[in-house]
Amino acid sequence: MFQIGNERVPVCHGVTRRSFLEAGSAGLAGLSLPSVLALEAAGAVDPAKAEIRNCITIFLVGSPGHLDTWDMKPEAPAEIRGKFKPIDTNVPGIQICEHFPLMARMMDKVALIRSLHHKTGATHENGQRWMMTGHDFNPDSVKPHCGSVISRVFGNRGTLPAAVVLPGKIGNTGAGPFHGQTAGYLGSAHEPFFLGSDPARSDFKVSDLSPPAGQTEFRLNARRDLLRQVDEVQRRTEANSSLGRDTAYARAFNLLTSAEAKQAFELGQESDKIRDRYGRNTLGQSCLMARRLVERGCRHVTVNHFETVFNISCWDMHADGGGLNNTYADYEQLLCPQFDWAFTALIEDLSQRGLLDNTVVCVLSEMGRTPNLNGRGGRDHHPNAWTNFMVGGPIRGGQVIGSTDKTGARPQNNPVEPPQILASIYHAMGIDLETTMLPGPGSRPIRLVEAEPISQLFS
Amino acid sequence: MDQRFEGQPKAEIRLEGRRLIRGEVTNDWGSQLIWEIRRNGEVAATAAARANESYEVTETAPGQYEVVLRMFNYEGYEKDKDGKYTKSKFVDVSNKLTWTV
Repeated sequence: MFQIGNERVPVCHGVTRRSFLEAGSAGLAGLSLPSVLALEAAGAVDPAKAEIRNCITIFLVGSPGHLDTWDMKPEAPAEIRGKFKPIDTNVPGIQICEHFPLMARMMDKVALIRSLHHKTGATHENGQRWMMTGHDFNPDSVKPHCGSVISRVFGNRGTLPAAVVLPGKIGNTGAGPFHGQTAGYLGSAHEPFFLGSDPARSDFKVSDLSPPAGQTEFRLNARRDLLRQVDEVQRRTEANSSLGRDTAYARAFNLLTSAEAKQAFELGQESDKIRDRYGRNTLGQSCLMARRLVERGCRHVTVNHFETVFNISCWDMHADGGGLNNTYADYEQLLCPQFDWAFTALIEDLSQRGLLDNTVVCVLSEMGRTPNLNGRGGRDHHPNAWTNFMVGGPIRGGQVIGSTDKTGARPQNNPVEPPQILASIYHAMGIDLETTMLPGPGSRPIRLVEAEPISQLFS
Repeated sequence: MDQRFEGQPKAEIRLEGRRLIRGEVTNDWGSQLIWEIRRNGEVAATAAARANESYEVTETAPGQYEVVLRMFNYEGYEKDKDGKYTKSKFVDVSNKLTWTV
């Protein structure tokens, strides 16, 4: 057997048409049968041996200023170091912003990566695509979101989708519709499930889990049967397999009719105490839902802290006096406390439930913010340097990877690029990047991401 | 979707000697939580209350003191030309304690 994503490709017997085509393409692309067998011998094909872990990514849309949060420069001039002060953490020598006092108490679990950077334009979308797919953008071959890759590689457990995005997909962030949150060329079967509503609201419900008005489960099942018959006719008359669409339909119906799936989204089953501990706000309740989802079989959950940067309080601290008027006040009174409260609740909760060992928690963003405060006291986009971090699974906490120069303008040591983060996530989740491939153009096997994991994270 | 805070956070506070102690906050919005100490009706001091459930009162100037726990209530990002929120504001979330020095 050879493995392309989660689809095992038989090489000796029982060859399906689809797998034959994929294996044939592999051969055409230079991966001959002996090569496949060699990969098999190297352990590429035995998922039972893999130690599969989950991933929760909190994505900070808008991008926090690294100098105001996790890479402070207290010795720099006032126009660079900004308003906030650093505090000690429970790891000697590591300081973070004073507005993360709870996170400071669990720094021994956290691996800060302070030398992230990318070399493409300073738009939110560039950063989103880099950090969610691990690839530069190519409109002719839209790369899949990390969760979609996980869906393809690991498949579903139970009725829940392998990849879920909470509370909703990223919308307008200024420079186009591509945010790196789709399945891309992997197809609709691996599209993340987007919640599409705010779990903090008292009228919260998952619209996709509620049958349309007037539709009973009986009628839904009748529709599913009809759809199956239509699809069977189509399958016989079309050259291409409709597997992708089949899977998407099946997933939709499973969600609509599964009590187990509905319960995963039902925050009312949690105590008031735990809901308060996460924070009665969109981020906090989304993080709580993320824990419920991985607990019940979901492989990869993305929590978007905000879906836009316009006309809301978010991390995009331009202080422009208009629709991008986020300032230090937003950081101090809302954003930092809200993040500190929800993030530490999530880590504590996962730890107490024994889930942190098999769940990797990543806090990612698009870029950093300019070292020099702008004329209005804000900071603008700066993809040349920023800080993100990881916790859980095999990640060694209590360390800082890389550093920036004295003004936080550029990486100084151990520069890290976005594909390395994605490679590290995949590795941390138990994927062997040398032997697990995705179908590329013409179903040619290609690596999940063209980078190696950051070895220091795991040592 | 912009976030919307619902309900009303509540907490009990008490004074033991010079030490202010708070209980857990129910319906916690998760935003900034502060002790606000007023002397003769004016704010004399504020202190972070999120990470620690107690605060040692150090104010000794004579006067009528009042202390309350406050939390930031987000109702919109809008600010005036001085950078002050026009809709969002801190609100009281606890009982008030008073004493005289």
